[in-house]
Amino acid sequence: MSGFRVFARKELREIVRTWRIWVLPGILLFFALTGPVLARLTPQILSAVGSRQGVVIQLTKPPTYLDAYGQWAKSLSQIGLFALIIIYGGLVSSERRSGTAVLVLTKPVSRRAFVVAKALVHALFLTAIVVLGTALTWVETAVLFGSAPAGALWSAALSWLAFALLFLAIMTLLSVSVGSQAGAAGVGIGLYALLAVAGIWPPLTTLSPAGLVGAPSALAAGRNVAVLWPVLTSLALAALLVATAAAVFRRQEL
Amino acid sequence: MTAAVEIAGLTKVFGRTRALDGLDLVVPEGSVFGFLGPNGAGKTTTLRILTGLARPTSGTAKVLGRDVAAADNALRASIGFLPDVPAFYEWMRAEEYLTFAGGLFGLDGPPLEDRVTVLLDLAGLTGVKTRIGGYSRGMKQRLGVAQALVNAPRLLLLDEPTSALDPMGRKELLEMLASLRGRTTVFFSTHILGDVERVCDSVAILDRGRVVAQAPINELKRRYGASKVVVEVDDGADELAAELANASWARTVARTPDGRIEVIVSDADAARRAIPAMVASRHLALRRMDAGELDLEAVFVELVGGSGT
Repeated sequence: MSGFRVFARKELREIVRTWRIWVLPGILLFFALTGPVLARLTPQILSAVGSRQGVVIQLTKPPTYLDAYGQWAKSLSQIGLFALIIIYGGLVSSERRSGTAVLVLTKPVSRRAFVVAKALVHALFLTAIVVLGTALTWVETAVLFGSAPAGALWSAALSWLAFALLFLAIMTLLSVSVGSQAGAAGVGIGLYALLAVAGIWPPLTTLSPAGLVGAPSALAAGRNVAVLWPVLTSLALAALLVATAAAVFRRQEL
Repeated sequence: MTAAVEIAGLTKVFGRTRALDGLDLVVPEGSVFGFLGPNGAGKTTTLRILTGLARPTSGTAKVLGRDVAAADNALRASIGFLPDVPAFYEWMRAEEYLTFAGGLFGLDGPPLEDRVTVLLDLAGLTGVKTRIGGYSRGMKQRLGVAQALVNAPRLLLLDEPTSALDPMGRKELLEMLASLRGRTTVFFSTHILGDVERVCDSVAILDRGRVVAQAPINELKRRYGASKVVVEVDDGADELAAELANASWARTVARTPDGRIEVIVSDADAARRAIPAMVASRHLALRRMDAGELDLEAVFVELVGGSGT
């Protein structure tokens, strides 16, 4: 158990002291900060663009806090998810390729602990970024729009977080079973496309993670969407995938 | 004496390549054991199996009395390992890495701090504040040795530990390995024969995935030294060498640059009786004839058929 704790602490320090502290937080926090501003200024931006081309563009209704929430949900679902897939494609394979795993795994650290510690620490890291980004969006929306009810924003962000944790688990498994980071990322993007297509079939939308593909945007728009089952199945599947990754890694030769 | 490493009938097949082909080996506990072999002989594969990084195709390997197939944290806690090219987290500093490595063995607090201080000194890295990413290969190798010793292991497995070191670093490392004799079993692979001769009690010579000889160094040299006859004549050495090559007891005949004839013989007594007669029948003047002891390099070349290191 001490091996697990020490290795998990190493993962945490590695996040803080390498590029990892800048890339995903940088991307998400940038969009968290700019989203509400962009939503607030959309009429002015459109009108400025239109006047340059001699066209009068007028929105039918003024932007609301829901537009700011929508920006955040869109950023998470598109750029956030693709960044996550690309970054975590090498979660385990990068240590195998560089040889650093050899020195760790010949000490009292089981392969299961190695994989689970990585998945767990990065799940916490991802959760912290999403919470921080959502809080920033929330405060900024309140300042810019004068009103920012919590429900729509946080339900959208947390439902995306469940989906992101599922993809973190998928990438953990892929980074164990596919040697290259680019290859794992490619398969990850393919799986996302499959889930998006699966979301067309209503039973899957109601019960499976496929229901979380469009849920964040719908929730951010203030619509009522039942996400309990998709969230539960996503989290259960994430745990299963990490356990599978650990089992696969245990059988591999380094 | 109990065995620190016991390998029986070990094979490892990669596709069509047989990296290990029925390897048998016993390493006595407390010894400094040299594992010699040319490149591609299977040294690294053996070490990877012993450390649980790879699985054998067939056969068994036991470390400290336990089958490596069932290796767990308890067994790994008794082993120190240095791979041929050690890779570290490059964002760490040496002190941090050793503290991290010690922590994985459950060490902490002042005992760990003391050990890290001693090991940094041993590795010549005291006061080095550069991140590991900026280290030379020699510095990394020294740090690799230090991390392998952080748990004061019962068995130290080293893959080519001196390959990246300068002469002084090599000398210091070999002295340090020799000082562990009796307390820690040191099992190290190398193709540097001088290193083995300097510090090892016993040696195994590996060729094409098989152990072709295993014995204490002195015994190995004695065994093969008795089979080497050196002959020096004034003239006609080429013709004599040709005749020697046809003798039933001659296994190999070689000419040295200074004109001597070196004969590896299967029956030293027969050779000693026959060679003077051959020289006399050719009316040559015999300047020297002795049964020279083979050094380890000659034993190695003899055993692996001159495939080189």
